Amino acid sequence: MAMPERSSPDVEQARSRLLKKVTARLARAAAVSFWVMVIAFGLIRLAPGDPVLARLGAEAAPEAIDRLRHALRLDVDPATQFVEYTWGMLHGRLGTSIETQRDVATIIAESLPVTLGIIAVTLAMALVVAVPLALAIATSRRPWVPYLFRATTSVMLAIPAFFTALVGLIVFGLHWQIAPIIGYEPGFPANLRFLWLPALVICTHLVPVLSRVLHASLVQTRGEEFVETGIIRGVSRLRFTWFYLLKPSLAPSIVLLSYMVGVMIGSTVIIETIFSLPGIGRSLVGAVINRDYPLVQGIVLVFGLFVVAVSLAGDLLANWLDPRVGAT
Amino acid sequence: MSLLTIENLTIGIPRGSAAPLAIVENASLWLQPGEMLGLIGESGSGKTMLCRSLIGTLRRRGAAILSGRITLAGTDLAHTDERAWRDIRGRRVGYVPQSALAGPNPVMTIGAQLREAILQGTPGADVPARARELLDLVQIRRPELVLAQYPHQLSGGMRQRVMIACAIAGTPELLVADEPTTGLDVTVQAGIMQLLRDIRARLGTAIILVSHDLALVDDVCDRILVMHAGACVEAVPAHAAPRHPYTIALNRSRIELAEPGTPLVTIAGQPPSVGAWPPGCRFAARCDIAQPDCRLGPHPPMRGEAHANACLHPERAA
Repeated sequence: MAMPERSSPDVEQARSRLLKKVTARLARAAAVSFWVMVIAFGLIRLAPGDPVLARLGAEAAPEAIDRLRHALRLDVDPATQFVEYTWGMLHGRLGTSIETQRDVATIIAESLPVTLGIIAVTLAMALVVAVPLALAIATSRRPWVPYLFRATTSVMLAIPAFFTALVGLIVFGLHWQIAPIIGYEPGFPANLRFLWLPALVICTHLVPVLSRVLHASLVQTRGEEFVETGIIRGVSRLRFTWFYLLKPSLAPSIVLLSYMVGVMIGSTVIIETIFSLPGIGRSLVGAVINRDYPLVQGIVLVFGLFVVAVSLAGDLLANWLDPRVGAT
Repeated sequence: MSLLTIENLTIGIPRGSAAPLAIVENASLWLQPGEMLGLIGESGSGKTMLCRSLIGTLRRRGAAILSGRITLAGTDLAHTDERAWRDIRGRRVGYVPQSALAGPNPVMTIGAQLREAILQGTPGADVPARARELLDLVQIRRPELVLAQYPHQLSGGMRQRVMIACAIAGTPELLVADEPTTGLDVTVQAGIMQLLRDIRARLGTAIILVSHDLALVDDVCDRILVMHAGACVEAVPAHAAPRHPYTIALNRSRIELAEPGTPLVTIAGQPPSVGAWPPGCRFAARCDIAQPDCRLGPHPPMRGEAHANACLHPERAA
């Protein structure tokens, strides 16, 4: 029976299926990115106002306006502009910010890590709280525990995040003075001092949703027959909790989480504005106000790519944890 | 010296201040090492609960042992705590659950599940060698492929073979198979039954086979214990003529005995449901030969050694 462990035809087949799936998703990601680009390009031009007027003011001399418009190549028709923009993109050029004259890629490279930092800290916080919470409630024998859980999470979800953010700033920032109200310091772990409160605020919505979905999955898993198999085999408590309860329950939560993280990058616009964090969301707000076409396009494209990438990662992770997901 | 002895076991659901709801009452059985016992009964007769008491998973279903004794080769199983159960499960008692399709853990490969069962049964075992040995024992071809697969990639029969392999990984003295062929094709069913007999022959494992198919159990087991409405009514050696009216009726309703063109024979009425057991013999309401004294007092206990019977009037049963 000394057969090689790998490279049997079926295992090989499963691997090529997965490869095919990933390739298909990457092709779809490219298509999504293209449409995000088209929409970002079109929407910002449809919006009233224009970058030239935003810079020079409404009282500027018509010649000056024409000159700048020509310099920015905004006087050619939009279709040509789009072709030029796409051409630059294919060569790795995101363009130059009209407002600051800086390279869009550089601005994104500076502000994106701040936003990703908020998201990473939020995710870590949410998982650390939501997973044990859902597990404790799902395995609790007291009948009032799930009711209390549902009521509390409903109340938390009903409070808007910007309100929580302001209360958080007043309580932790002004009253107890344990969180900075303004400013940012890049680099780990120095940035954590500035990120924990924004992350906590986002968690007041993320934890209820995540723990509820996970709790529902756990309750469903608990009733399945294979759970008894774990008991019958006499596996240890730790193994049982991971392999027979959590792992079979995680897939829906991970798919949800990848979706929520995609949405989260949008909601950082509000959080970054309230906490004065120099993230990509705040850059977007500034860019939209100034009608900074290249910067808006660049940031929206990054948002789109991020959403696509996170959802792909979520699907792959769910598939890896629970092979039933890929089988159907 | 029998391997397993159950004496006057009563299993029920505690209901706070009210009297507990009995599911199995005064059940008794014994099992010799290497013996294969069939456990027969309609749904709700308590046979699954009786089996669960042997693996310590009653509490999960809200039930508990109310009285009686279970002894497995000197070990008391009726008063065992969770910690002690971990040493018994997989090592001394193997269990093949009812559902072949939903039994294996869907998020672990067969290899990982076998590994888990092997290490629980024999800590420090040579896992790859033992896994192949077990798969060979349950007649799974191409083990190197199956080890890398997930349950949903296997057929129902294969899944049940894997479950059996896991159950015997720790070479337990007792294997309990609770309707192991539910939901499987008839041909697959025959294969699983043959496999259980092989295991008994090769490893000397005592087996309790739960089923509602009297013909099947009569074929493969040494002895048959018949349960009806939470009580043991007859323990009959295989191929022997049944003496309890319930077993006789079950035997008559075997489908392969039916005359073509005539209606199938059934047992009139329903077994009384849990919580609504009448006094006396619980089969009396469905019994042709019931006498007035059959409906009095507690359920009659089984009497006799090799062929035990709970009927008060066995001489009238035909």
